[in-house]
Amino acid sequence: MIGIVVVSHSPALARAAVDLALEMGGSEPPPLRIAAGAAGGATGTDAVAIAAAIDEVASPDGVLVLMDLGSAVLSAGLALEFVHTDAAVVLSPAPFVEGLIAAVVGAGSGASLSAVAEESARGLEAKRSQLGAEHDPSEPPDPPTAAPDGAEDGGAQTASFDAVVRNPSGLHARPAATFVKTAARYTATVTVTDLDTGKGPVSAASLISLISLGVTRGTRIRVSATGPDAQDAARELEALVADGFGER
Amino acid sequence: MDELTDWLRRFHAAVTAHQTELTELDSVIGDADHGANMVRGMNAVMAKVDAEPPATVADLGKAVGMTLVTSVGGASGPLYGTFFLRFGMNAGAVDGLDAAGLGAALRAGLEGIVARGKAEPGDKTMVDALAPAIDAWDRTVAEGGSSAQAARAAATAAEEGRDATLPLVARKGRASYLGERSAGHLDPGAASAALLLGSLADALED
Repeated sequence: MIGIVVVSHSPALARAAVDLALEMGGSEPPPLRIAAGAAGGATGTDAVAIAAAIDEVASPDGVLVLMDLGSAVLSAGLALEFVHTDAAVVLSPAPFVEGLIAAVVGAGSGASLSAVAEESARGLEAKRSQLGAEHDPSEPPDPPTAAPDGAEDGGAQTASFDAVVRNPSGLHARPAATFVKTAARYTATVTVTDLDTGKGPVSAASLISLISLGVTRGTRIRVSATGPDAQDAARELEALVADGFGER
Repeated sequence: MDELTDWLRRFHAAVTAHQTELTELDSVIGDADHGANMVRGMNAVMAKVDAEPPATVADLGKAVGMTLVTSVGGASGPLYGTFFLRFGMNAGAVDGLDAAGLGAALRAGLEGIVARGKAEPGDKTMVDALAPAIDAWDRTVAEGGSSAQAARAAATAAEEGRDATLPLVARKGRASYLGERSAGHLDPGAASAALLLGSLADALED
């Protein structure tokens, strides 16, 4: 599981962002450390503290670093010169809150460093899509609908179901995170399509793509699973949707 | 080593004397903490250097650099920190530098700042004072000048570079969020960089 380091000028901001990310998608959270504030708890960042945090969460799976802004990026860059680990470390250009939530969900479901980094960097898409902002053609398209570890499915077993989303808030961050983590337990490739708007299919490995569908209460969705355990995956996901993703 | 330690002491005195001015510059186009940051950083540096006098230029660069990194929470920490770390690494385990060696170490420090912050000349940053200063140093040495002469030429160029930031629109750092409103004000980082080179000139002329 990759490790996550959260860098902020403000210890309070970092703690609150982490609390929110864990609440949204933190069952089985990944290794995570905060490096926030300067000497004496003053606002600011400290490259030595950041390096220590990276070393604490480092493993052969690598580390993703989220930063708030400005000198946090300078300090994180300098920290790379101080770390002892030779694990891969990626400094993420992701937005602080959205990127952290995507990272906690992705890392917690066992995704690779490159997959989580790519997902986090797309963190603003959900908000843009919710606000109906113009699509930016320079943004990357949805990630390929492969399982997080890119495994090829042996059989062509497919299972799918249509369902109506019953949650009052639709498929927003927390239920989407639950969906992503449930789907991640299966090797089957899972996709979701909004049957009412026609948007999708999007990969159930991507929190950001799911949120960006903007599925509201009452929307009909189609969930498709392909792979050796497709039927088991579809069965559990169908129960999850019917149960309102555990929210009531 | 005495000259370099004297440099640090004079820089400490300079930022302390100019703390209000640096903060005022930073309150117009920054977050009003550059003066306090530099004083806090140099207080910590002098405490460290007085407690454990560095034996080599490499030791001095590392002590000053790491102290600034851990005591200055804003951009000056990683930027001036990187400057001194690279300065020391370039100079090596020697107890003194000649004019060419000092110029090379200063340039290594500047290149570290540019690599870290990616500022270009004209972005309205400390680089706008440091880059012309180190060019002036190299020119003076190429003409056969001493360290003291090179340092004075560098200090003058740094002041001119600082003054030249006045009309610039910031493209880096906190000031860049102000856009056009940053024009008409001196860059605080360029101001502290001018103090840095001025302090070096004073130390070498003494």
